[in-house]
Amino acid sequence: MTPRPGPTRTRAYRALLLLLPAHLRTRYGNEMESWFGEALAEAHRRGRIATARTWIAAIADVCHVAARERLTRQRGGVRHRNERRQTMTTADLWAALRSVGRQRTATALAVGMLALGIAANTAVFTLVNGLFLRPFPFPEPDRLAYLNERAPRWNLERTGINYPDFHRWRQDQRAFEAIALYDVDTFNFSDGRSAERIDGARVSPEMLAVLKIQPLAGRGFTEEETRPNGPRVVMIGEAMWRQRFNADPSAIGRTLRLESVPHTIVGVLPRQGEFFGGAKIWLPLVGDPAAECCNYSWLGIGRLKPGITIEEAERDLLRAHQPIWDERDEERNVSPIVRDLRDEYVQDFRTAVLALQVSVALLLLIACANVASVMLARAVSRRREMGIRLALGASRFRLLRQLFIESAILAVLGGALGLVLGDAAIGGLLALVPEEVPRWAHFGLDARVTLFTAAACAVTALLFGWAPAFYALGGDLRSAIHGTSARTVSARGGRTLGWLVGAEFALAAVLLVGSGLLLRAYARVRVVDPGFRTGNVLTLRLELPTAKYPEPDDRLAFWDRLQERIGALPGVRATGLVTCPPMGGCHWGNFFDIEGRPPRGPDDPDPVVLMRMASAGYFEAMGIRLVDGRFFRPEDGRGGLEGKLFASAEARQGPPTPVVVNETFVRTFWPGMENPVGRRLKFRGNTPWMTVVGVAHDVQHYGLEEPMRPGVYFPLTEFPDDGLAVVIHTAVEPTSLTPAVRRVVQELDPELPLFRVETAEGAIRKSLQLRTAYSWLLGVFASLAALLALGGGYGVTAYLANQRTREMGIRVALGARTPHIVRAVLGSSLVAVGAGVLVGVGASLGLGRLLSSLLFGVTALDAAVLVSVVVLLLLAAAAANYWPARRAARVDPASLLRAE
Amino acid sequence: MARPAALKARHYYILVALGAGDRHGLAIAREVERLSEGQVRLWPASLYSSLEDLLARGLIVEVDDPRERPPDESERKRFFRITSAGRRAMAEETERLAGLVRIARARARTRPGETG
Repeated sequence: MTPRPGPTRTRAYRALLLLLPAHLRTRYGNEMESWFGEALAEAHRRGRIATARTWIAAIADVCHVAARERLTRQRGGVRHRNERRQTMTTADLWAALRSVGRQRTATALAVGMLALGIAANTAVFTLVNGLFLRPFPFPEPDRLAYLNERAPRWNLERTGINYPDFHRWRQDQRAFEAIALYDVDTFNFSDGRSAERIDGARVSPEMLAVLKIQPLAGRGFTEEETRPNGPRVVMIGEAMWRQRFNADPSAIGRTLRLESVPHTIVGVLPRQGEFFGGAKIWLPLVGDPAAECCNYSWLGIGRLKPGITIEEAERDLLRAHQPIWDERDEERNVSPIVRDLRDEYVQDFRTAVLALQVSVALLLLIACANVASVMLARAVSRRREMGIRLALGASRFRLLRQLFIESAILAVLGGALGLVLGDAAIGGLLALVPEEVPRWAHFGLDARVTLFTAAACAVTALLFGWAPAFYALGGDLRSAIHGTSARTVSARGGRTLGWLVGAEFALAAVLLVGSGLLLRAYARVRVVDPGFRTGNVLTLRLELPTAKYPEPDDRLAFWDRLQERIGALPGVRATGLVTCPPMGGCHWGNFFDIEGRPPRGPDDPDPVVLMRMASAGYFEAMGIRLVDGRFFRPEDGRGGLEGKLFASAEARQGPPTPVVVNETFVRTFWPGMENPVGRRLKFRGNTPWMTVVGVAHDVQHYGLEEPMRPGVYFPLTEFPDDGLAVVIHTAVEPTSLTPAVRRVVQELDPELPLFRVETAEGAIRKSLQLRTAYSWLLGVFASLAALLALGGGYGVTAYLANQRTREMGIRVALGARTPHIVRAVLGSSLVAVGAGVLVGVGASLGLGRLLSSLLFGVTALDAAVLVSVVVLLLLAAAAANYWPARRAARVDPASLLRAE
Repeated sequence: MARPAALKARHYYILVALGAGDRHGLAIAREVERLSEGQVRLWPASLYSSLEDLLARGLIVEVDDPRERPPDESERKRFFRITSAGRRAMAEETERLAGLVRIARARARTRPGETG
């Protein structure tokens, strides 16, 4: 038997009929409903499609008639009342404006709350827009794709691209119009008088074709210029071209002194070129396709051919990569990946921004609920006005329209103010995370943001407008003209207010729990032991140009002199050099054969090991604790053939290289070993063994929240790299030493700029910037939400208590005592609050799940957070509601009854 | 005297349907559907708003007296009856349409020289 459509269906239809003018609905509603029921039953027998068509036809029918009746002709009015036909007129608008203007306090309150909610939404949406929605500033940006390589067995999700791999892909790939390699870098730049470090990038010649940009002047790079020892050339950005060369085309052919070598300017790139890391200059990315193997250090970008998907492109690169597996990577450790360019850039932000979006949306909802309760209270006092106007012949529809116009005016005012505030707030928001925001992202008001705000206003007006409107116009308005009942809120109105307050508290509870969880996680991250001294440590970078310091001996001599001179400065306790300090954002990995380890099976993991070269003073200066053995001594690795770290076993002379390993290294490769000092390890291949002389405590190299990798320190003497970080443990405020250090460096080499000068404390703070920002932002939003909810609760209780003055007076006259009255008033409002808080805490579990990737091990069911939110909100609500309740209880029955 | 405005198609159909006798809403809609060979299907809101229009113009009335209702029909349904003004309006519209049909027939004949 076919089930017949139940009464629920026709009830839905009945609800739909509410759109129709009342006279049609009341006269014919029942017949229409039963007719529809029959039509539906018949359609039901014919199947789903017929049913759907019946519904669509019925909805279209009602909407069509409703629109015709209500908006264009007002025919109901002609027949049933004596109102002139009209659509929305300026008169309505003025009436609404006057009404809004009359109630200054209520209007200001409503506009202020809406502006707050809309400002928060506008600001967060501006973030969303800049990060996720604005197209990249290149033609057909959807076809840009991110390329990289991955090696899960090395415990590396992104390895960087190996130049020979790229070379092979470039020859064999078919899915892309072009692919290019790049890397963001900074360069020593001197104009003869001073030296500075400027942001730039190394790019392969295909970059312009991939991005589809044209040089403003000159040309891009040639293949020739990317060969090792090729011509020294540079492209400059539009900004530098205008500043230094007055946008003169003759800049082409002039030279810039970079890394102590003159580079010929061959082209000028437009502003879009700065897309990558805010580069101001571009150098050719030099690579050797015939290089032995593997330096996974470049990033890739490609332009897909039209119609090719990311997945197809990845399959194509895997195909092009096949010969590499066959020839030199039979274990298939490394494989190419293709990803959506934007996803790759914004993944850190995704969850945080989503959480912010949800929270500001909730904030706006609370503001709406508050405005709705203010308006509802107003509506009650306006029932008399409405009754009179109705009696004078206005249609309910017209009154409804005027009320909605009033709501719309409030929403537009709030929205305009919110737009201005939100635009101002976005600047502050970005100032919280200056380092984290991708430089290509642009944040500002545009059509999309404005449209969003307008939509937010419209939704807002509907959200807070309906309750007061229906309340003001509902029920028997004719009786509202007489009698005092017009001024007092009915039981239904009171219930609606209670609901609104409960809903506000529910939303506030969701936000408070979310922000509580994030703050707990923040606190937990902050107490992670970084493994190094954070106070009184200054780090700064220097990079020696290879043209000037070609040999390892030259570099080591410079570094030795530098360490000695800085160490002699007053206020310096210790100083050291390292290739890559903790949280420096660098990673240089390699693989080792470990003495005493059984041979690795083909499927065993092969975790990459972090390499750092450190001078003898480094560990002391950085405050890294020794677990076992010793750190480096100044004489380690000295004596002939500097830079011998990567020498072959035969070429190696002298004692074996002493190395220091970290605790994770010991745990990973020698689990359970008591004393690893004296054990040996070596680079893969024909290389000499090296001896472990010490075990260092782990440092949080990749950030407080990231797991540490196994790591090995080598003596700097054996590989004096060209770019190093100088680490200084100071006895004074660390940054106060910067000028003295700069002088020392200038005396040694006037062309060398210091860069990335920061304190260890600052580096930690910077690594937590994003977390700090979203945690506190959510905290601010949650606090605002709680304040709004408390304010709303207070207002409603005060209002309802005021409405019940007469009842209270009678109760007092009949002998009720203050505590009874207080309890009665407080009780009814706290029930709504309590229910709201419980629902909110339940709903917050969903938010907790959304946040889980940000919670750093704090579970969404964190009892401390849940309990404190419940207690906090209930106590605050009790306090906020206590005063109105007390005031109600103090009523003097005699004066009240006299007033009657 | 100004010529009365042409009846809307659905109003005309309703009047024709009621021309055969008193009917309630759903019955009118079914009759209209039959008369138009399925071309005009009236849905509840459209039908009743049209009936309101016709009532307002005095072309139909509602049958108030229960004794005038056809037997064995539910008392909860409203029945409508065409008025004499309604019949006049129907007749005028019919004449107008008949005139149109005459013209159309004349024009539909193939003229000499036309091809295809």
